[in-house]
Amino acid sequence: MTTDNTSPQEPHDGEYLKPLLPILDQHSTRRTLLKTAGAALGLAAFGEALSPLMVIPENVSVDEFLQQHYKELTDEDKKKVFARLEAETKERFGADVTITDSKPIPGVRFAYAINVSKCNGNGKCMEACNKENNHHRGVDQSYIRVLEMTKGSMDMENGSTTYDHTVPQDDKFYLPVQCQQCDNPPCVSACPIEATWKEDDGIVVVDYNWCIGCRYCEAACPYHARRFNWELPEIPAEEVNPNQGYLSNRIRPQGAMEKCHFCLHRTREGRAPACQEACPTGARVFGDLNDPDSAINYVLKNKRVFVLKEELGTKPSFFYFFD
Amino acid sequence: MTANARKKRNVAALKHAVRSYPGFLWWGLGQATNGGLGFYVWMIVLTAIALVGANAWAHQVARGMIVTNMTDHVSWGLYIANFTFGVGLAAGGVMMVIPAYLYDDEDMHKVVIIGEAVAIAAIVMCTLSVLVDLGRPDRFWHLMPVIGRVNWPVSMLTWDVIVLNGYLVINLHIVGYLLYMRYLGRKPNPKWYVPFVFLSIIWAISIHTVTAFLYCGLGGRPFWNTALLAPRFLASAFVSGPAFIILVMRILRITTGFAAPPKPARTLIQIIRVAMTINLVMLASELFTLFYTGGAHGESAKYLFFGSHGHYGLVPWIWTAIACNLIGTGLFFMPDALERSNTRIAACILCIVGIWIEKGMGLIIPGFIPSTLHEIVEYTPSLTEWKVTAGIWAFGFLLLTVLLKLITTVFAAEAHKTEIA
Amino acid sequence: MAGSRGVIISVMLLAMLAGAAVAVQLRASSVVADGAVASEPTPNDPPADPSASQVATSAVRSSRGEAQKTFSVTIRKPAGPPRVATNLKDLHGEAVTVACSTCHSTRSPNLQNKTSQSLDEFHSGMKFSHGTVSCLSCHNAADYDSLQLADGHRVEFTDVMTLCGQCHGPQMKDFEHGVHGGLNGYWDLSRGPQQKNNCVDCHNPHTPQFPKMQPTFKPKDRFLEQSRSEH
Repeated sequence: MTTDNTSPQEPHDGEYLKPLLPILDQHSTRRTLLKTAGAALGLAAFGEALSPLMVIPENVSVDEFLQQHYKELTDEDKKKVFARLEAETKERFGADVTITDSKPIPGVRFAYAINVSKCNGNGKCMEACNKENNHHRGVDQSYIRVLEMTKGSMDMENGSTTYDHTVPQDDKFYLPVQCQQCDNPPCVSACPIEATWKEDDGIVVVDYNWCIGCRYCEAACPYHARRFNWELPEIPAEEVNPNQGYLSNRIRPQGAMEKCHFCLHRTREGRAPACQEACPTGARVFGDLNDPDSAINYVLKNKRVFVLKEELGTKPSFFYFFD
Repeated sequence: MTANARKKRNVAALKHAVRSYPGFLWWGLGQATNGGLGFYVWMIVLTAIALVGANAWAHQVARGMIVTNMTDHVSWGLYIANFTFGVGLAAGGVMMVIPAYLYDDEDMHKVVIIGEAVAIAAIVMCTLSVLVDLGRPDRFWHLMPVIGRVNWPVSMLTWDVIVLNGYLVINLHIVGYLLYMRYLGRKPNPKWYVPFVFLSIIWAISIHTVTAFLYCGLGGRPFWNTALLAPRFLASAFVSGPAFIILVMRILRITTGFAAPPKPARTLIQIIRVAMTINLVMLASELFTLFYTGGAHGESAKYLFFGSHGHYGLVPWIWTAIACNLIGTGLFFMPDALERSNTRIAACILCIVGIWIEKGMGLIIPGFIPSTLHEIVEYTPSLTEWKVTAGIWAFGFLLLTVLLKLITTVFAAEAHKTEIA
Repeated sequence: MAGSRGVIISVMLLAMLAGAAVAVQLRASSVVADGAVASEPTPNDPPADPSASQVATSAVRSSRGEAQKTFSVTIRKPAGPPRVATNLKDLHGEAVTVACSTCHSTRSPNLQNKTSQSLDEFHSGMKFSHGTVSCLSCHNAADYDSLQLADGHRVEFTDVMTLCGQCHGPQMKDFEHGVHGGLNGYWDLSRGPQQKNNCVDCHNPHTPQFPKMQPTFKPKDRFLEQSRSEH
């Protein structure tokens, strides 16, 4: 290929140094002037069109913009970040809150189980989740969806989440679904920027300040466990839960993804998750998979247990069982 | 000429070239923005639409994605649908590159640069489509290597970002280099572009394969979770891309008198005939599997084609697409399509529309309906989404117009120069 | 020329395939590399073989130890023998209630009675639906302010769980393992106490089936049709 350099068609030295054509030099001052004016006008119009973007510098401080990934924050950084977030919550929601950073308890691995024979679909768990986790009140958001299923079928096609009658119906059973805290989480694989990851105690968390909101994880999740903040949540000041975790229930920013985190601000302090405490039927069992005497291990050993969509290989830490 | 002198001259030429490349671009911009009244009207209309889109997007960023009609159930919509189609358009240009460089088709060589220009514009559109789909565009830097935190190679989305940007850079280099050499009146040195052309062939296939992997790698979405998705993407891309390029060449002929030889378009028609047939065969086998087997895996397809549980939102879309594709394919197979005829133009338009629907509203949306918990939440794009999408297309056309204008100017100049000589 | 192009293309294709293979490999191993699974001997697949996982994890747990479970589980107790309303008010306007024994000590017990229909006075309108047991299977004919076990031993109302547990062994066993009846407080007894319900907190002993409820909280997603009873 290098032989081309010496090919006869090669132009002479001087020739290629000259600009190619006479038409280049045809300057029409008027045309140039018009074009410049047009370009200026276009740029101004573009600036005007994008002017709503000015809310970004209003709402996003420089510190927030430059904030690093959760795993890269030092304790000192976290202190500053949490203080900033607390101040912002006070400013925007009028509530005094404390943001903490509960760490996984060494040696503990959380799992959840639901007794399908007991659950009657009353939905108290959703309500508790909504309140505990500072969910958007406008859409009654929660991390849980309870499916009313037809007896004799495990096909969700025969299920409904919008039932509104006395429960339990005789021909129905109820299947609450929330994040299954998979051991092989498709959402974590999907995320392009490691904004979501699995912690040592098995909880899959989201750094709400790192997520760019591409929603690939939401497409990847087989359990409809993820929720996107389509707008800034609205919560009356008096309803804000002041006990907040950075990776859990602090009020989420607009445009970020969120999901069930097993109430880690409670469970990592040894307390039961809010949905479990709220359940009036006692269908919910929560505990440490690594403790042989835990309630969850009793269920796994003594009950007939299944997981949802086991064929997908997601390895949920969330189990269902029958009495 | 001694080797030393030649080296010296090469170095001098290179220095000059590096110095004057920005100058060439500036000159090109000047040339590309010259034109008649029709040209300016076209550019102003496109700019206006792009402005409407930019404004709609700015509002979306300010108020939140709530202004779109996407939901937690249908979490991707028109933007990602458009992105998928755009990737196909970009990849389709390779069907000019392969005949030109692998089969030494001389006539194709003369117009291959048009396919590369289309690829550049399409990739820019794709990037914009993804950008407007982000909930937090201000955090875009999190995606950048080194300063961000890129989940590569596990996340298919990072692969997509890499291959799309890579394809853009490769094509910018090839187009820029070839035009610059023509501008200088030099014969392009194959070692500066031929390797990149080969790379671009592989790369074109990879951008669409990776984009398909984005969807078909998700086990929780049975409608996408099929090995046929990537081949189908490629086959349809090799229809929509060449069809679009044929339209572009026709428009160029009418507006600028840039006369492409007749053979390349015929070659492209032949390629479309084969690719479209393969595409339809694969679609048919996909549908057979879904409907004959039935069960939960076929629910999305059932909803898409016939409606499900009293919801029929996508039924008109997909049958329009099927009709467009079938009629378009039929037209492509008419002998008339090999000539410069209205049949050819109609066929191209029908297939482009058909594939746009098939890959967008007919593929991305039904992946979410029914949801993973088998709830049905329907989706129709909101006005904001239409505005933003129109804006992106307008910007793409704006870019394409400038690129083509530059190309035709340089080519015309060269022709002019040959005449003088 | 054409041959060398073929070679170039093949090499590039192979490189692509190799890249994809690496990606698949890394995806498979990424979860382990994440540290969550690899850092400790935790069960990867608990439902498949829970007993095996216990062997693997007991070493970890022994360091935490049972002795550290310093907080206790409190089971709520019933207030005591029920008092029956009389519709009378005392001098202070307080309702007058009487103990069961107030009436029953003067009446002869009906050992056969299994329904509420034949009951009158204070018990009229009472519903009874609890298998085939008779009133005196649980109520103590010798002292109506207490209950009795099947073997005739007296048991206080406050110890009602002992009574229920006679028949409802599986439920009792589940309850003891924290899998029946729900709980409040701490799952981790080394960090705080736990409160549990007793049987009659949730189950009316005369109609023990859990009552029907009306859901009060429903998702209000955009574009999700409400109340599709049959969809």
